[in-house]
Amino acid sequence: MNGNPTSGIQAGGILSAFAEAILANADNLAQARSAVVVALGEAAMIDAAAVVAGFNGITRIADATGIPLEPAKAEETQSWRGALGIDAFDNLKS
Amino acid sequence: MTTRPELPRSELLAAQATAWAWLGTPGIWWTGAERTAIVAETRHAAFCAHCRTRKHAAIPAAVLGTHDTTSTLPAPALEAIHRIRTDSGRLGETWYRRLIGPDLDQADLTEGHYVELVAIVAITVAIDSFRAGIGQAPLDLPLSMPGLPTRITPPGTKPGLAWMPVLFPDDWTPPTPDLYRRLPGPPERGRGHIHHALSLVPEAMIAWWDLFEPMYLRSSEMRDFTQEFRAISHAQIEMLAARTAALNQCIY
Repeated sequence: MNGNPTSGIQAGGILSAFAEAILANADNLAQARSAVVVALGEAAMIDAAAVVAGFNGITRIADATGIPLEPAKAEETQSWRGALGIDAFDNLKS
Repeated sequence: MTTRPELPRSELLAAQATAWAWLGTPGIWWTGAERTAIVAETRHAAFCAHCRTRKHAAIPAAVLGTHDTTSTLPAPALEAIHRIRTDSGRLGETWYRRLIGPDLDQADLTEGHYVELVAIVAITVAIDSFRAGIGQAPLDLPLSMPGLPTRITPPGTKPGLAWMPVLFPDDWTPPTPDLYRRLPGPPERGRGHIHHALSLVPEAMIAWWDLFEPMYLRSSEMRDFTQEFRAISHAQIEMLAARTAALNQCIY
């Protein structure tokens, strides 16, 4: 992934910016939304918003119940989890 | 001439309407009025000054203060709603254990109350985020329906996987609702740990997944790379999911 999680994915940067704007309810949300519509169409924008919103909910379920990652998934993702700093999130829990 | 597809998808709208109405009904642990209050509090938490201060603190528990609240919900419920809404990535089991006790009337939060509350917060966040994302105003609060909570804990739950006991698929028996959609078979849910997360309150688990799958993908669709099920590709969906999880500091 060359350190860029959006590389190689069509309109990855635009979609990523849309996700960030939704989560932050940012001032540039309308602009980010329009960029997705221009690049991929309205149906894609709606489906992208649905994925972001759904994961905005489900991450709270995972974190608020203490559900662990499945062992097979943890092993499969071990190499890049560390590289992306995801494992460090675990040290912040209190 | 091509026909413009219905936007948003009718399945998506129907799932959200069903989930939103469910929030106002009497639950297993909370009344309809209390559940509606949890929805309102979830929205209000985004503007809580105490939460904002704690969000930026290295140790959230070290920051003293009280939440800006819009309800008369018990203090542990307020704390749970606000932290789950504003700083879920740093929740730990120690925090959870401090909230939980045997008797809501003694200002404790039972595990059943907590799990149902988590589902209500998650559904509120998901639907509100979606509507903000596509440029629509938030829905009015769900209509509170009369009635009493049933307070039924399903038989067969076991401790060990999560902070609270869970009901594994092989331990499910009628008349507990078919939370893993085992009938008529094969089971449609239950492969991942995340499917077990809300299983202490099966109705809450079902409500969440009935909402979430149309927003994301069903399990069978996740692994079917022979076709696309949405207007964005599997790769785009997974990138958005991963990005959202990372932004929320979720390690699952």
